[in-house]
Amino acid sequence: MSDEEHHFESKADAGASKTYPQQAGTIRKNGYIVIKGRPCKVVEVSTSKTGKHGHAKCHFVAIDIFNGKKLEDIVPSSHNCDVPHVNRTDYQLIDISEDGFVSLLTENGSTKDDLRLPTDDQLLTQIKEGFGEGKDLVVSVMSAMGEEQICAIKDIGPK
Amino acid sequence: MEDFAAGGGPPDLAQFQATMLAIERACNENQMCMNSAAAEATIVSLHQSPNPYLCCRFILENSQLANARFQAAGAIRDAAIREWGTLSDEDKKGLIFFCICFVMKHATATDGYVQNKVSSVAAQLMKRGWLDFTKSEKESVFSEVKNAIIGMHGANAQFAGINFLESVVTEFSPSTSSAMGLPAEFHEKCGSSFEQDYLQKFYCWAQDAALGVTNRIVECRETLAEDRVCSAALCLMFQILNWDFKCAGDPLDTSNNRINHEIAMLRKFEFVLVQPGRLWHDVLISSGHITWLLGLYDTMRAKCSVDVIWFDSPLAVSARQLIVQLCSLTGAIFSSDNGQTQEKHLLQILSAVLKWMDPPAAVIAAVRSGRPDSEILDGCHAFLSMATLTSTLLFDNLLRPIRSYGTLQFLSALTCEIIQAHGVGNNEEDTWCSDALDILLETWNVLLRRTDIEKNVLSREGSEAIVILFNTIVESHLKAAVNSAFDELADSEHFHASIAVRDERLASYALIARKVASVTIPFLIRLFSERFSTLCQGKGVTDPTCILEELYWLLLISGHILTDSWEGETMMVPDELQTSFVDIDDVAQHPVVVLSWSVIKFAEQSLDPDMRTNFFSPRLMEAMVWFLSRWISTYLMPTKTSKSYSSTLIGRTVDHSKNLLLTFAGEDNEGRSLLDIFVRISLVVFTSYPGEIELLSLTCQHMLPALVRRKNVCIHLVTLDSWRSLSNAFVNERILFSLPSRLQRSLAESLVGSVSALKETEASNQYVRDLMGPIATYLVDMCTKDSVKTFAQQPDILFMVCCFLERLRGAARATESRTQKAIFDVAVSAMDPILTLLEVYKDQSAVVYIILKFIVDFVDAQVVFLTPKDMATLVNFCMKLLQIYSSHNIGKISLSMSTSLLNEAKAEKYKDLRALLQLLTHLCTKDMVDFSVASEEECVNIAEVVFLGLHIVTPLVSMDLLKYPKLCKNYFELLSHLLEVYPEKVAQLNADAFKYIVLTIDFGIHQQDSDVVDMCLRAVAALSSHHYRERSRGQEGLGAYAVSSYGPEGTLQEGFLSHFLRLLLHLILFEDFSMELAGSAADALLPLVLCEQDLYQRLVQELIERLPNPSLKPRLAFALQSLTSSNQLSASLDRVNRQRFRKNLSKLLVDVSGFLRVK
Repeated sequence: MSDEEHHFESKADAGASKTYPQQAGTIRKNGYIVIKGRPCKVVEVSTSKTGKHGHAKCHFVAIDIFNGKKLEDIVPSSHNCDVPHVNRTDYQLIDISEDGFVSLLTENGSTKDDLRLPTDDQLLTQIKEGFGEGKDLVVSVMSAMGEEQICAIKDIGPK
Repeated sequence: MEDFAAGGGPPDLAQFQATMLAIERACNENQMCMNSAAAEATIVSLHQSPNPYLCCRFILENSQLANARFQAAGAIRDAAIREWGTLSDEDKKGLIFFCICFVMKHATATDGYVQNKVSSVAAQLMKRGWLDFTKSEKESVFSEVKNAIIGMHGANAQFAGINFLESVVTEFSPSTSSAMGLPAEFHEKCGSSFEQDYLQKFYCWAQDAALGVTNRIVECRETLAEDRVCSAALCLMFQILNWDFKCAGDPLDTSNNRINHEIAMLRKFEFVLVQPGRLWHDVLISSGHITWLLGLYDTMRAKCSVDVIWFDSPLAVSARQLIVQLCSLTGAIFSSDNGQTQEKHLLQILSAVLKWMDPPAAVIAAVRSGRPDSEILDGCHAFLSMATLTSTLLFDNLLRPIRSYGTLQFLSALTCEIIQAHGVGNNEEDTWCSDALDILLETWNVLLRRTDIEKNVLSREGSEAIVILFNTIVESHLKAAVNSAFDELADSEHFHASIAVRDERLASYALIARKVASVTIPFLIRLFSERFSTLCQGKGVTDPTCILEELYWLLLISGHILTDSWEGETMMVPDELQTSFVDIDDVAQHPVVVLSWSVIKFAEQSLDPDMRTNFFSPRLMEAMVWFLSRWISTYLMPTKTSKSYSSTLIGRTVDHSKNLLLTFAGEDNEGRSLLDIFVRISLVVFTSYPGEIELLSLTCQHMLPALVRRKNVCIHLVTLDSWRSLSNAFVNERILFSLPSRLQRSLAESLVGSVSALKETEASNQYVRDLMGPIATYLVDMCTKDSVKTFAQQPDILFMVCCFLERLRGAARATESRTQKAIFDVAVSAMDPILTLLEVYKDQSAVVYIILKFIVDFVDAQVVFLTPKDMATLVNFCMKLLQIYSSHNIGKISLSMSTSLLNEAKAEKYKDLRALLQLLTHLCTKDMVDFSVASEEECVNIAEVVFLGLHIVTPLVSMDLLKYPKLCKNYFELLSHLLEVYPEKVAQLNADAFKYIVLTIDFGIHQQDSDVVDMCLRAVAALSSHHYRERSRGQEGLGAYAVSSYGPEGTLQEGFLSHFLRLLLHLILFEDFSMELAGSAADALLPLVLCEQDLYQRLVQELIERLPNPSLKPRLAFALQSLTSSNQLSASLDRVNRQRFRKNLSKLLVDVSGFLRVK
């Protein structure tokens, strides 16, 4: 335990690291993984051996969390894989500008204006309609490896 | 004769022509998938039109299009069944004769399906009128058919006649009959009357038809049509023998213990026993029928088998099918002469079947070079049937009158050949080998697993045959191991399924080996030590892979022979091993002991790093750990069972030999040092095989649990240095944090479980604190940091948190009275951090799920121990948890770029909800445990809490989610429990909540799963009984919810009671209601009837009036009358009265279901 105690302190300060190593054998379905430089969510893990008496290797099928593309990778299960640091932050939606950008209220009171509306039709209409009706909307923004995207909304206002 | 005037009036040919064209066009369009809705409508309109008979007849006789003729036949059927009541007797018979004559006349037609359809229409109409036609009317129809069948109108009409009889048998057999919208009683009556009067006649006609053409077939002068007749006749006989004979009625002759009546084994391969009863004796046994059949097949085989295609010809297939079926002929058909007739019968068939597979080597070679495999597979089935019916001794002796050896020897030779062929083949085309092997192994299972089989039953030759068989098994598998050693391990998708199949086979092999353990175990010992020394000699020089694979297989088979599968509750030393070695005195000489030692000595080598890197591949370690897990549960320090001392000398030697097996690894002998080796092996697995998930899983989920399963083993375990180093490694070593998280849980469970053996409570608690305390400290530290929100999302922190939560969950699952306190304290200190984590990780569904599962297991394990004060802490915590969870999940729309990720998200939600429902159910049990505790003021009101919880959770449980069986079960478990225990709280619910409950119960009652229906019925019973009791005491009961009222908009809002009264009556009377639920239905119905007497009477009147058949009205009225009046039923809900009502309801169901439910 001793070497764990101050573990999160130092890392928290470092902050800049976008990925972390983790043993391939411990990455499970629904976990995150970096494949070909893209942050992905694992949808399938299977293990096999290199020859009957060889070592185990993991076969990952994963989906890029930003563009939905399917990626695959095979890694010896005792080796380390890169796992992306995936963050979700909730912001209140203040405005939708005409050029397709949104204006969001951050926790410390300033605004964040560098995000585009999502490309997904369903979510897009929900945001636009909800905003048009004057609902209080909170959007979830998913970020990993320097990319950001709106991935969910929630109506927090009174009915 | 084939005239029928239905509909009257002159036939309008032009009209018919037009309809025919329309139908033809529709059929064509349908087939091309064009305009299919319109085409469908045209066809349906023909089926539904009144009196379409003449038109249909016109189409049948004139249309060139087979599909149109098919539809016309179907339309006749539908219309006649619908209009049966209004058709004149002449018309009914006319329709039947028309159909029969049609098939006879067009017997040469090539469109078999139209012919079959018309036959089947005739058969269905025949059945529809069965109970009304007089005997002579039926005779007149069947005599016509009989004439055709015995060949008066040529072979084609013969075939058509047989075909018609097949349809008749199909329609009259209750399991295969078509729906006619008539009560089940009707189908039953037709079935039994048919069985009595015609079934045997049909069999004889089929026999006559076959006899008529056999001469020509035997002389090879037969025409194609005659060939067809013969195989159809044999098929009909087969179908008739498959009839579920009811009239047999004679008691079985059980005096003869050589003939068995167990049939479970046959079912596996979809065979049934044929028990037609004494009446069939003349037809099947004394008439020489079987001799004729066997002779026919034999002669054909001798003449035609030059051409291998013959084996798969319809005639050969149907003949063999009938022969195999006759193997399982048994019961009262054989006269009670101590089984001699039946034995003769079996021998007769056996000697015929033998020709199909003797000599095995030649036959298998023939199949491998292209002869169809059907004959040999049928032969194997015949063996299985015979083995099922006979005692092992009789089975072995069957062959002796005609051969110099017993049946077992032949079976052994056959199995050996199949196994060798199986080993050599190993490609896709040889699935027959695998099929044949499965059947034969099942046969061996049947023969060897018998409890009545004593050792001396096996003859010397029999035992030798089994030894040879086992040697062949081993050799062929070792050969296969060497050949496949370098293969890639195939895809892991079917990995576990293939392991299950493999284990089932190995278990069959083990059964064979154990029968002759005194030879086979020494044989294995020799093989094992040979491989081991070759391995060591070749170190660094030769590639060990092949030997490793051989050792792998030897470990598996040894494990199966020495131990039984771990599905059992307590693992015992297999009986055969206990009794096989009575003459061995010296423990060091006992083969079971020697084999065990050689495997364990070998396993110990894995502790040496040099040996390990050279030889102990992950796969070999998997087999080793698997072997050890099973061996530990069976032999390591077994708990002493009460000894029975035999007075006889033999008895004592048996006891001595048993005792050797129970003590050689006991506490007084090698037990302790073995234990140390096993713990060290598990440490080596953790440290030296990182990422080998399969191996790690076996160790965490099988071997360590086996070690801590028994208390007497734990006592030694906790004193070992090696166990202490494992515990230390668990707390401190990084390498153990890289175990997959579910394995962390099992590991924690085993470690905490081991302290149940410590004598001092304080010592056990201290041990738990040492193991788990640092985790709580870590979580507290982490959550008090301000920056927790940011760094918590780092994958490494996330992974640690998951590990820790899984460890806590493992510990919670291992809770025992001794360790309860420490585990509770650790969990309490982690409660605040856990709430923070739930908040922080609200988007990490995996973490949320682990948290929920931890709490579920924690509450489940702890709730029985807790004091009111601790309970209050726990309940508060659970409430906060529920609130946080629901605040994050209600009204949220999540979205994703890919549908598969979206589905994943839904699946996760579903799992979460199940966990929450389980949590509430577990909380509920507290009231059950504590209801004796008096101090009420201290107690938390669990009901309040759980209802509040339910209130939070139900908005998340949508009707769609309830369609998932597991969630549905969890939900109704909770709901029925709540309504049963706290009905008074339900009355206080608000209208929406109450409505939701009613809605879900309504949904649940209509489910397929009888458990769910049962729970819903119990819920209804609880609520309505509560209401009735309260009302009789002058209280409100369910108040406004109980009675129907008019809502604000003037719509009728049906009350709870009337709604369910109506629903239940309909359910039990008209729907396919299972009798096993009758009890709970009665419990629910009684209070409803008592509460709503008037409505009940009204409903009863309605039901009776609505019956379509007036003759049934008095029957139903009487049955419903006795439901509420017989058996001195009173207006109370006490137990006696409820029991009476249950009896009344079952009687009602038995009485009315025959005529109310229709098929």
